[in-house]
Amino acid sequence: MLAEPRRDQAVLGAWAASIFAISALTDLATLASAAAVALLVFRRGAATEARRVLVGVVPVSLGLSLASWAWLAWREGPPPVAPHAALVLRAVLIAFVTFSVLRRVDLLRALAPFPTPTRLLVLCLAQIHALRLLARESTLGLRSRLPRRPRTRDVLRSSGAITVALLTLSARNARDVGDAMRSRGFH
Amino acid sequence: MHVPDGFLSPQITLPAWAAAAPLWTWAARRNFGTSSTESLPVVGSLTALAFVVQGLMIPVPGGTSAHLTGVAILAILYNPGVAFVCESLVLLLQALFFGGGGFTVLAVNALAMGLLGPGAAWLTWRALRRLSERTAAFAGAYVGIQVATFSVALVLGLQHRLSPAYMPVPFAVTAVAMLVPSLTVLGVVEGLYTVATLALLRRARLLGAR
Repeated sequence: MLAEPRRDQAVLGAWAASIFAISALTDLATLASAAAVALLVFRRGAATEARRVLVGVVPVSLGLSLASWAWLAWREGPPPVAPHAALVLRAVLIAFVTFSVLRRVDLLRALAPFPTPTRLLVLCLAQIHALRLLARESTLGLRSRLPRRPRTRDVLRSSGAITVALLTLSARNARDVGDAMRSRGFH
Repeated sequence: MHVPDGFLSPQITLPAWAAAAPLWTWAARRNFGTSSTESLPVVGSLTALAFVVQGLMIPVPGGTSAHLTGVAILAILYNPGVAFVCESLVLLLQALFFGGGGFTVLAVNALAMGLLGPGAAWLTWRALRRLSERTAAFAGAYVGIQVATFSVALVLGLQHRLSPAYMPVPFAVTAVAMLVPSLTVLGVVEGLYTVATLALLRRARLLGAR
């Protein structure tokens, strides 16, 4: 049995190898078999991850593929559907495997032997969280100040003040997180 | 703008990783050593801001949408190495937690959007800054995003050339679909964003901003 950081690192290594292998597949039948294997291996929590893929990945991949297919069909007549379908299936399968693996590993524990990447990762995640909260609060604040739904012009007018607030808050936040991590031995 | 997972085969992604890995190590050691304590908060802020900015899709004519990169500012304020590391971090976070871009294509996206684009932005800014700081920042950001977009289109075209069964869309289609919105809308918005953020950074007098 591997020690905890080693186990997480081994899982991440296997994940990297598997997604590169999936990215080499072009045959629809092989991709479908790989998808069935992935569903079997990651059956616990599969519905949650499938929903994430459906919301985050399918619209972009499917949209790109459909738009490309339609463009080619308009210019040169209908092209074969299989390569476009394989493109979408590959993207969906890689995202599903990625989300399922990341749900099962502790990324920070896997990175524990490498303090600098850990520090950068924590810093950025903390920043993103803070910025998203502030952006959401600013949008809600703008909505509450207007008797109607904010228009593009209203958003643009308030964007300067929001950006200054975003930058000021995140600079302070980054300094705090950086100091806290340095005091705990992350250099 | 960035390539999603599954759109490029290991024939392209593995050499890209081999090229990017030593550059990441070099750029991180050079720019994020112990002397970076002062600039790290601002770099962290701008990285997070780039992340947020890249999440804002701009609708463009034809029903498609595109997004800013927000990293030209990092190249202008610091150097292309900082932009490369920060953009790679943004792309990694997007790939791991939000399903944007991808891990297999991370190196390709990072080289295009984090190194070539900001590198071109930095060179343009350096060439023009004596004329006018604002014009130089705008032109740098505009050129940078065009170079990044063209690089991504070129790689997708190369994948089609290598295997049309893998990537069925030819370069001519990809280039038009990506460059038209980039040249007409995105470049201008990225330029304005860069000029405005530079002004805001100075107005807010954030520590570490040059």
